[in-house]
Amino acid sequence: MHRRALIGLVLTALLPAAAGGQTAGGVVRGEVRDPRGAPIRGAVVGVPGTTLYAFTDAAGRYRLAPVAPGAIHLRAAAIGYAPASATVTLADSAGADFTLEPSPLELPPLDVVSSKVPQFGEPATSVAQLTEQEIARRAVNTVDEAVDKAAGVQILNGQINIRGSTGYVQGLNSRVLLLVDGVPMNQGDRGGINWDLLPVDQIERVDILKGAGSSLYGSAAFGGVVNLTTRDVATGFHARVRATGGAYADPPHPEWRFRNTTGLEGGVDLSGSYGTETAGGRVAVGARHSDGYREQDERDHWQLAGKGRWQMTPRTRLDVSGAWAVDRYQVPLSWCRRGECADSGQVYQPFKVDTTELGARTDSRKGYVSAQLRTVASERFAWQARGSWLRTHFIDYRRSATEFGVANRFGVEVRAEAHPDAARTVLVGGEGTFSDVQSDIFGTHTQSELGAYGESGQQIGRAHVTAGARLDYLAVDAGSMTAVVSPRIGGTLPLAGGTLRASVGRGFRAPTMAERFVHTFALGFEVIPNPNLRPETGWSAELGHTTPVLGAARIDAALFWTEARELIEPQLILVVDTVTMDTTAKIQLQNVTRARIAGLDATVLVAPIPDHLTAMLAYTYLATRPILAFRPTHLLTLSADYAPAGSSGAWGVGADFRYASRPRRIELEGFVDERRVAVKVLDVRAAWTHRPVELRLLVANALNYMYNLVPETLERVRTISITAVWSY
Amino acid sequence: MSLRPAAVLVAALAAALACDAGLEPEPVCARGLVGVCGTAHYTGTPPAETEAVFVVAFHTYPQSCADLLALPPNFQPFPPPPLPRPYADSAAYSVPLTAGRYEWFVAVWKKPGTPTFTTNDTSLFRVAGQYPGVVTVPAGGAISGIDIVVAFDSLRPVTDFVTCTAAR
Repeated sequence: MHRRALIGLVLTALLPAAAGGQTAGGVVRGEVRDPRGAPIRGAVVGVPGTTLYAFTDAAGRYRLAPVAPGAIHLRAAAIGYAPASATVTLADSAGADFTLEPSPLELPPLDVVSSKVPQFGEPATSVAQLTEQEIARRAVNTVDEAVDKAAGVQILNGQINIRGSTGYVQGLNSRVLLLVDGVPMNQGDRGGINWDLLPVDQIERVDILKGAGSSLYGSAAFGGVVNLTTRDVATGFHARVRATGGAYADPPHPEWRFRNTTGLEGGVDLSGSYGTETAGGRVAVGARHSDGYREQDERDHWQLAGKGRWQMTPRTRLDVSGAWAVDRYQVPLSWCRRGECADSGQVYQPFKVDTTELGARTDSRKGYVSAQLRTVASERFAWQARGSWLRTHFIDYRRSATEFGVANRFGVEVRAEAHPDAARTVLVGGEGTFSDVQSDIFGTHTQSELGAYGESGQQIGRAHVTAGARLDYLAVDAGSMTAVVSPRIGGTLPLAGGTLRASVGRGFRAPTMAERFVHTFALGFEVIPNPNLRPETGWSAELGHTTPVLGAARIDAALFWTEARELIEPQLILVVDTVTMDTTAKIQLQNVTRARIAGLDATVLVAPIPDHLTAMLAYTYLATRPILAFRPTHLLTLSADYAPAGSSGAWGVGADFRYASRPRRIELEGFVDERRVAVKVLDVRAAWTHRPVELRLLVANALNYMYNLVPETLERVRTISITAVWSY
Repeated sequence: MSLRPAAVLVAALAAALACDAGLEPEPVCARGLVGVCGTAHYTGTPPAETEAVFVVAFHTYPQSCADLLALPPNFQPFPPPPLPRPYADSAAYSVPLTAGRYEWFVAVWKKPGTPTFTTNDTSLFRVAGQYPGVVTVPAGGAISGIDIVVAFDSLRPVTDFVTCTAAR
């Protein structure tokens, strides 16, 4: 099969070169709307089994090119709508409009993250999606707040956990890869994620791959992949203003009071775009300020983002994008314990900080630029190349010391996509990443990663099977190389009662330069480097099933299992001074843990009144052996939204309730405050929409429940905010 | 599942899960205590004849043995309950005290013997440590953070602090 696939790939690669000179192909245009005539943004229209697909813009318009003359079978789909099909006969150009019926229980129509190539149908590995409408409905202000609401996902102080993958290691790594429009964006030095790199207002969709994705994405995709798709540039002139303002609740107990005023937050985002069918661009600026809900918690954020597209030829499109964000935030390093502040006779003061760290702050700047070139040589073959540069810079100002770090991450990738026939897809590619860091705590180092991958998808009867592998070479400071092979195989099988999916794959994560070379002080201990760290590896398997129930519900359940080796965790070790023979306790990151992470991920989606009332219950059960730190055994999300039909305007109400059980273990237990409780957070929201204006009210943590996710760090108190959006 | 049972189920589940308040204030002093609490830090080795160490507080600094013997009512019967054992490292303690200002807050070491409430008692007791400041107990409440160092290697007779005519 692989030989035939390879021959097919080569032939299809050569054919368009000859055919391309004869005709540029035709164009199919049209609109996608709902039954009330409202445009559906972000719907996908394509020709299944080919390279041809396009997303609709804000006006619901799409454009497919180049399309070979003849009868074309088109499929249109959008999240929350039943898909529709149409066949048009094309000479030079043709039009095809679609009306999609609301169907909230419909499966997500398109998978853009599990196979790199957008594909209709269900993927073999679980994928969660958040649409622009869901993000807007929740009225969140940052990307991580939006991602945190996805089923089976938990964000711990900025570190994302998908099915218990990452835990929490003070931002020194991430076992989840972040992509922005398909471009990797994990930091070059720490491997972490800057969730504030992009304004949430520019995000059109979030796709979350749950499980190892290293067979296509390489390092960091050990536990999953998050892909942020930014808004495309629509044709015509468009502008958008988003303003938000809110207030934090006071501490619920008088002995926790730390100020006499109410903490406020607010921000504004402006964006404008202009586009034709050939080219377009958008610029967005924004600023936010927050007084914070704790002592020494003020934050200021400024951002600039841009995106451009250029249809260079009917077959070739160039996309460029970039962003630059500047943050200055005070650092509430850890809450005050008895005697570390004016403790008012309390054992701990969760709203106050240790007075020895008063005045601490961090200045952070980060930005990226990326360019992607995609050429659709024919309906059977396309290739894509991209280059990217991510730069991060931080300075931590402390009373004890000032620390800084500057890191770059350069990436290139070339990949080819072939559809030898309607039932088969072949993807091959190569990727290179070069990172460097200059820092007083990480030193001056470089890290290179070279990877080559291939994957083939094949329809076999009713089943769809995908198999592939990636080979990565890693080198630090141009030293010896480490090779890692990451295979994956998976498939889906439609059954009478639903669809069965299964996958097995290997994931890995290269140690970050921060993990290898960090030299600083934490918790009163010296943290010493460990240049000999080896990559973490793990085999992940999943067996899932999705099925509709009585036309009013859909149940998706998946059993997952990861056998991880060489997990990197901080360890307290005793080091003997060879001169004085004194023994000192120090912290070092080491490959120490061999772990099993297994569990059940289940989602029940209910739509008793389609288009008006939907509810979701998502539950994740997690068992780890040995007990891993910061992994809650139970994670539950309940959400419901009700939106009665309106004549002149539309209003709706909704709520999210999130429960996470108390983690059984935390890192460095005995050296930090071990207080931790279960998470029980209720968010309540209301919205009123009267185009072009939207008004949203959000009461986050409405119960003002006091909790922490990581040691000595209080999570957000009740926050009431109002968001107004004007779109043109 | 019809809408009503589902809504009731969801509401009941949410209410059950949300019924506690998460992190709560945790006073250093025990709830309901009216008095003083803190940590006793022990240094040195307790003498072999140690019977107990306890805390005594005086509204004003004693000028004479008579002042010493005029203990506030909090310390009746005398001696008061001892500080927590073992006398090593440190231990949290609390002392019930009526509201007011206490100028001398002192840790007292005692060897075996029955107090007679005369100047002869000075042979039974030694000053093991003092709080370096005035302690004010709020009305109906407690003050925390009154940490005191109990130094077994430098026990001092009370006659170092007040004038008495008693056997050492």
